[in-house]
Amino acid sequence: MNKIFLLSVLMSFFFIRCEKVIDIEVPSIEPKLIIDASFEVLFDQTPVTSNNSVKLRLSADYFDDTIPVVTDATVFLTNLSDNSIISFTDENTDGDYKSVDSFTPLDGVAYELTVIHNNEIYKAKATKIKSSKITSIVQGEKTLFSGEEVELKISFKDDEAMKNHYLINVDRYNYLPIEDRYFNGSDYNFSYFYEDENIEFPKTIDIKLSGITQEYFTYFRILIGQSGQNAGGPFQSAPSSLLGNIINTTNEANFPLGYFHISETDTFKIELVE
Amino acid sequence: MMSVKTNFLFLFLFSIAVFSQEEQTISGTVYDKNNNETLIGVSLYFPELNAGVTTNEYGFYSVTLPKGTYKVQVNYLGYYSIVETIILNKKITKNFKLEEESESLDEIVIKSNIEKLNVKTPQMSVNRLTSATIKQIPVVLGEADIIKSLILLPGVTSAGEGASGFNVRGGAADQNLILLDEAVVFNSSHLFGFFSVFNPDVIKDVKLYKGGIPSKYGGRLSSVLDIYQKEGNSNDFKLTGGIGLVSSRLLAEGPIEKGKSSFLIGGRASYAHLFLPLFNNENKAYFYDLNSKINYRFNDQNNLFLSTYFGKDVFGISDNFVNKYGNSVVNLRWNHLYSDKLFSNLSIIYSDYFYGLILDFVGFEWDSGITNFNLKYDFKHYINNDFKLSYGISSIYSKFNPGKIVPNRPDSGIIAEKLTDKYANEFASYIDAEHTLSDKLRVQYGIRFSNFTRLGQDELNVYKDNKPVLYDTEFKKYKAAEAIASDSFKRSDVISSFNNFEPRFSLSYTLDDQTSIKASYNRMAQYLHLLSNTSSPAPLDVWTPSGKYIKPQLLDQFAIGYFKFLKDGDYSIETEAFYKDIQNRIDYINGANLVANNEIETVILNGKARAYGLEILVKKNQGKLKGWLAYTLSKSEQLTAGRTFNEPGINNGEWYNTPYDKTHDFSINASYELNKKWKFNTNFVFQTGQPTNYPVGQYEVQSLNVPIYNDNSRNSDRLPAYHRLDISATLNPEKNNKRKWQAEWVFGIYNVYGRQNAASVNFSQNRETSRNEAVQTAIFGLVPSVTYNFKF
Repeated sequence: MNKIFLLSVLMSFFFIRCEKVIDIEVPSIEPKLIIDASFEVLFDQTPVTSNNSVKLRLSADYFDDTIPVVTDATVFLTNLSDNSIISFTDENTDGDYKSVDSFTPLDGVAYELTVIHNNEIYKAKATKIKSSKITSIVQGEKTLFSGEEVELKISFKDDEAMKNHYLINVDRYNYLPIEDRYFNGSDYNFSYFYEDENIEFPKTIDIKLSGITQEYFTYFRILIGQSGQNAGGPFQSAPSSLLGNIINTTNEANFPLGYFHISETDTFKIELVE
Repeated sequence: MMSVKTNFLFLFLFSIAVFSQEEQTISGTVYDKNNNETLIGVSLYFPELNAGVTTNEYGFYSVTLPKGTYKVQVNYLGYYSIVETIILNKKITKNFKLEEESESLDEIVIKSNIEKLNVKTPQMSVNRLTSATIKQIPVVLGEADIIKSLILLPGVTSAGEGASGFNVRGGAADQNLILLDEAVVFNSSHLFGFFSVFNPDVIKDVKLYKGGIPSKYGGRLSSVLDIYQKEGNSNDFKLTGGIGLVSSRLLAEGPIEKGKSSFLIGGRASYAHLFLPLFNNENKAYFYDLNSKINYRFNDQNNLFLSTYFGKDVFGISDNFVNKYGNSVVNLRWNHLYSDKLFSNLSIIYSDYFYGLILDFVGFEWDSGITNFNLKYDFKHYINNDFKLSYGISSIYSKFNPGKIVPNRPDSGIIAEKLTDKYANEFASYIDAEHTLSDKLRVQYGIRFSNFTRLGQDELNVYKDNKPVLYDTEFKKYKAAEAIASDSFKRSDVISSFNNFEPRFSLSYTLDDQTSIKASYNRMAQYLHLLSNTSSPAPLDVWTPSGKYIKPQLLDQFAIGYFKFLKDGDYSIETEAFYKDIQNRIDYINGANLVANNEIETVILNGKARAYGLEILVKKNQGKLKGWLAYTLSKSEQLTAGRTFNEPGINNGEWYNTPYDKTHDFSINASYELNKKWKFNTNFVFQTGQPTNYPVGQYEVQSLNVPIYNDNSRNSDRLPAYHRLDISATLNPEKNNKRKWQAEWVFGIYNVYGRQNAASVNFSQNRETSRNEAVQTAIFGLVPSVTYNFKF
């Protein structure tokens, strides 16, 4: 349960609130390297494929319109079981680095990501995390707060043998991190309320269920909380810099932002109707 | 253990209780003539002796004077004074009945000396409000509100509109002890803080202690809000009520046995579907509260009270989401006079706070809460005119339910889980003396001894090196440790125990009849912590007791003040400076999840807090124009240092603003009685904006735009300043005079110039333009209101 989200949504139903865009002077900092490296192994497809990309960016001032890309870095993975190297290149010079040869992360193998940028070396490790298969997703009739939401009834079977964390991704922008603490081993079903102000039916959306580490779960929970965070008000909580699992081995103080993670992912397409 | 302490108290008492043959005692109770309600804080003044006393919370007074014949003036604000001659040659029991000043201003108002005693008493940092004042203050939607009224006083702020709780002298909202007829109330707000839980019709007297807190009170650091409910009219049956935009109130009171016993039952309910857009009839949102009281006066020596309070908030979005929470209080009190000098009150109190949630779309039900039983025995001993003692004992047994989750339907897939219940007992004994050392110097001193015992629970985690929170030096973040074992206890086992001596001291030095200087020191211990990392508490926050991993909060507060009354108390000026130092104020590691966390110790960091400031209160107490002007200049900060050198703590181990730090806080309240028919009231409030955090940069991860926040400038930005003006007009139709049915209309405008005060600023990406925006939300613009009140 995310208390702040819950309360803010409820609060918005009381009284006539008046919203307006205001100009605020925000402080700025030296740009930081952002490493966004979340690999998804689509384990329920034959053959098994994976989405591997390492996106390198620089942070920008909050109200800047563009986020600079980093195209001059060296990026590779090391398979720590046999020390083989998997090279990545930025073919389109858009800051998105892809593996030179097709590559699918293996079960139980730890990989080390190395990024070299401006003569500084950044490193992180990850091992693929198991997920579960989506049993079914059907469109429901209910709504939640605004009355405009589309209900998605999602069900999947949790693996009883282990403590699982999942990241559910609905139509690219919407994320929900969950843990199996209250449904370990059960056929879990719940409703997700999808909202898109400009929706036009029929619309086909993708839903992904990824297995994630406990650390990534915590990281993502904070990330969601801070993107779209309310400053001020009774339900604000103090935000802070969101450190991931990547370290700068050359210059510790110049820490990067972002995360290196490998998950198993199951995908589901659904056509939403009115 | 308890009996030893009690004996100690009594021994101490009798060793100093020396009686003089030349003195006699006059004692009794002061009532309102109309309804036989006892009156709190009435002053009885003997001009020949320059001596006086005030009535206690039950209207009782006792004063011992040399034999003789004296004049006594009985004064109470808003009532006609009585002057009587007393022949004091033997013990006298004398009750007084005061008559309320009528609305008519043509009659001569007797000048009262009410404030004179206040100048002399060492008690400082106290503000009082009466029900009448509270009802006149203009408020949003015309809903008379105790807490919203308190915020107009110096040293009291809140996190803004729609924020629950209040902050006193830079203290947190969980540091206020809120007592309703001596019972602890845990949640003071309805609807997330838009309204407070106290029905203004039922309230007799409200007192807020901000400092110099007598040793009678303990358990919270920052303030004591002591609220007394009416007893009920024991002369006649009366109905009082009001119809407002948000809620309606009805209060019935009357004698059970005339002049001896009375009852009171009051209810308040908001309209269903309050504020919810009616797009769906299945939605609901409402609150109600119910107060009742029975009072039986056996004789002058024995008086019994049974009072109850139930309050609840309910709202639901169809069946998908249902949220309920509220307080229940049941309280039995027995006033007994052991002698004309020794007043006692025994209270047995049950208090409960419940929070429940049904989330059908994820398939579970949740409830959490706190239950406590309190037994306390308080004595007030009027030994002689220069020396009065208060002493007593209290024991509070608490059960904490941090949460229980169960599936709400058979197919939900949720597995039930119960978080470990916690148990504790808080024992306290105190003694407090009011001592007149000379005509100019008066002191009040006392000590409170408190013991907090954490009782056995089913499971208590054990961590390596006793460290539930770890610091990861590689990734530079705090994280929860995994428990290495779990201890289990019998309920009667003691897991941890804390003892604290809490000295209290205050003095007043009278410069002349109208002027005094006061100083005070108080130490307080608080054993309960509200787990909340938001700026103001939310209904689902849970209380947790001190124990193996969380230490009790301790406060030392120093205050000095200068008090001046002008023109016989027509005007008063109160200036105070305070400094507070708090140990063991907890804060949370980044990303801490406080809801349903069975290992809460793994997300808590221990720190400290401090606050200091200056308060000025200028009041006009008499005449057609009354009111006050309050200004507070203050600072409230927190420090959470790393436990070792290689840990940064929070904010790099530097002091940071608390979310309730308000540098400037200025308010004016004025009421003007134009004639019998019309009365006007106005407020103006100005406050420094709430401390907050603005992003210092942005980046993208997994298609999400994420703001970057700085780690070493926590709460250093500010929302825009808050200010607004409110007005109200009360109409008493002239025909009231001739009939039984008394009615009044209150018309109000909240936020007259429609200031868009920022409740929050949201930083997010606009999906359409893909640009980042800062969107300010204001809750109330200009809000007109009308309320109809009646009495018959």
